[in-house]
Amino acid sequence: MLYFSEIKGKKVFSEDHVLVGFLDDLIFQASELPQITKLIIRLPNKQKIIIDIDALIKINHNIVIKKKYNLSELVENELYLVRNLLDKQIIDIKGHKVIRVNDVVIQDKEGWYISGVDVGVLGLLRWIKLEKFFQNLHGIFGWKMKPIFLSWADIQPLELARGQVFLKKKEEKLQRIRSEDLADYLEKTTIKNVKKVIDTLNTQYSAEVLQNLNINYQSAIFRSFPPEKAAQFLEVIDSDETVDILLAIGYKKRQLIIPFLSESKKQEVIYLLDLSKTSIGKLITSEFFCVDSQMTVSQITNKLRIETPDFSSLNYIYVINQEKQLIGVINLHELLLQSNDVIVFKFMTQNVVVAHLTTPEEIAVKKMLKYHLVALPVIDINKKILGIITLDDVDEFILKKLT
Amino acid sequence: MLNRFKFSYWWKRIIIFFAVFGPATITAMADNDGAGVATYSLAGAQFGYSILFVLLIVTILLAITQEMGVRIAIVTGKGLGDLIRERYGVLVSLLVFLGLAIANIGTIVADFAAIKATAILFNIPVVPLILLVVVLAFIFVTKGNYRSNQRIFLVASLFFFCYVISALKARPDWDLALKSLVIPTNIHFSKEFVLAIIAVLGTTITPWGQFFINSYVIDKKLSIDKLKYEQLETFFGAFLTDFFSFFMIVATAATLFVNRITLISGEQAALAIKPFAGDLASILFGLGMLNAGFMGIVVVSLSTAYAFSEFFGNEGSLDAPFEKDKIFYGLFLAQLIIAAIIVLLPWISLFKLVFYTQALNGALLPFIFFFLLKITNNRELMGKHINNRWYNYFAIISSVVIVLSSLFLIFTSIFNL
Repeated sequence: MLYFSEIKGKKVFSEDHVLVGFLDDLIFQASELPQITKLIIRLPNKQKIIIDIDALIKINHNIVIKKKYNLSELVENELYLVRNLLDKQIIDIKGHKVIRVNDVVIQDKEGWYISGVDVGVLGLLRWIKLEKFFQNLHGIFGWKMKPIFLSWADIQPLELARGQVFLKKKEEKLQRIRSEDLADYLEKTTIKNVKKVIDTLNTQYSAEVLQNLNINYQSAIFRSFPPEKAAQFLEVIDSDETVDILLAIGYKKRQLIIPFLSESKKQEVIYLLDLSKTSIGKLITSEFFCVDSQMTVSQITNKLRIETPDFSSLNYIYVINQEKQLIGVINLHELLLQSNDVIVFKFMTQNVVVAHLTTPEEIAVKKMLKYHLVALPVIDINKKILGIITLDDVDEFILKKLT
Repeated sequence: MLNRFKFSYWWKRIIIFFAVFGPATITAMADNDGAGVATYSLAGAQFGYSILFVLLIVTILLAITQEMGVRIAIVTGKGLGDLIRERYGVLVSLLVFLGLAIANIGTIVADFAAIKATAILFNIPVVPLILLVVVLAFIFVTKGNYRSNQRIFLVASLFFFCYVISALKARPDWDLALKSLVIPTNIHFSKEFVLAIIAVLGTTITPWGQFFINSYVIDKKLSIDKLKYEQLETFFGAFLTDFFSFFMIVATAATLFVNRITLISGEQAALAIKPFAGDLASILFGLGMLNAGFMGIVVVSLSTAYAFSEFFGNEGSLDAPFEKDKIFYGLFLAQLIIAAIIVLLPWISLFKLVFYTQALNGALLPFIFFFLLKITNNRELMGKHINNRWYNYFAIISSVVIVLSSLFLIFTSIFNL
């Protein structure tokens, strides 16, 4: 990805190193997928020409275009990047002014298109060549500046022709580009590019993005991080995902990173890594919710609200006794049907379908399918719950079986 | 039957006019801020009635330049800040706005200085008064919305009648005053005289005034069918401003000029006219100065806050609640505090500071008029409300006059220093 501010005004050369002019503007389709279709080049005599993007060979220090290019012109449904998008007022669906388009984010892999706009202060500073300077100040003052992306998906492309950028949402609901989307974009670019972007985001957000990347990218990126930084990110990533990443980056690096984790995270990770040595252990998630058998429905819902907001999913509530042994299970529907003061012991299912660490993966999957369970608790010899395996964790296994 | 129809027709127009009424008059009245009053008082004391003929020119120039701002605001729905950012990019707008911010701080300091000087003359404790001004201004702006602020400004504008009474009490030579207004009379050209004319021009037609009228009209959210009424108000506002300027000059001309009393600074006028015009005139003159200073402080700070909100693209409206628009209100308060501190610091030479900011204001004007003329001649933006040919000539000549005089002021002052 690159910013428009980085290429505006760049020298344009033809293949045989003849100066054609300077990049002045880009033309894009006003649609859900805003493909960049044409370049506008300002010739040395100030005249402007429009050429097709097909003539573009590469953009690096300079812009290089084919020797033979055809002049083109604006067609219906096309807009100018500078005239219609850059520096324009962003207005939310209720008509409130929100912010301005400070820079435009361009995706340069697999075709050229606009992926979103930068509305952050860095977008402004980039134009006056002070972006690096202010980012370096970060080291001195300890503030971190990050680009604030606005995804193209939030913009109404058809309104752009009127010189204002209308959003599809209310300001409050507006979020930066979703981490999943950014991860998708990033997977189309090089590892180097991904690192560049990750460096500019705050830890929480970049951890989200990292979590959404595929394992190859994850391991490549984490291998390149110094252990301390890797630990910082892993701290915010779900534990079972953390274990996957740690397993992928190899024993040596793993041992370097683990000491930097916080105490609680470290214990959890070591525990999960230990389990991963058995066939089923690799699949285990520590994201499960246990309650005491004497608790009432209202106590359970309170506990659930406090402890589980960051769970990625929750289907079952496991009931344990004083000795921490698994003695029952309820699903959320059963919980909701009960009145507030009922004790969970009264209505839980007592025959819990379980797996052990030694249970082969196939058997566990078969159990889940047979009993229509989306999660299966894994217990040790003392009936203590170690973790759960969810349908998400075994879907690869199922898919493999199917094909 | 016909009569009744005609009556309701006119009645309707008048009601619309009063609904629209506000922004242009307030901007124009704010041009007579503390620094403005001081300049007029000084000019009146120094050159008497002979300087009055300038008012006619100032009125026309003010009306024309303000009208362009009003037209841009209503037709495009965008402020001058919006348009400069959108058409000239980050770098140009940042330079212009930083210049504006610095010049505006200087103007606010000048207004605080006028308040301070008046307070000292009337033995009002300075520090509490300045703190009170800051707090009051902030409450007006944050707690109120557009409507309440407009009302406060209009009431403040009424205080300018103080000068009318002061002038009446000074028992001036009305015949000579009115004659001097229309026909240049008793003029002795000198360098000081030319400089006084330019100073009067420069204190009335300002960069912040141009930014403010654009933004303020937008904040009022007027639709394009109100354009004619708002243009009419612009002319009325320009007239009203110089109507009061007339009395300021007359009040000092009839007392100080006639009795050959020289003023060191305009702020002293309130006390200096006392022996000739009496207690009431003196007190009213001082009260008018306090009011003008206050109005200037609020309006000039607002104009920076509006301009930067337009640059960043946040809501930037008096109607937005404080929590939702911290940039807008934050900028407003920051300027008040900085200016108040500067004024209270004993070792800062206010005279020099005000002088330099006047020069900066003058240096900004050519750019502002370049943008104004560019925009009002852009058919894509203005549609059929583009400047027509004659108006354009007039606007260009006015701009050139203003620009030349501000440049002249800068150069002569620099070589004198």
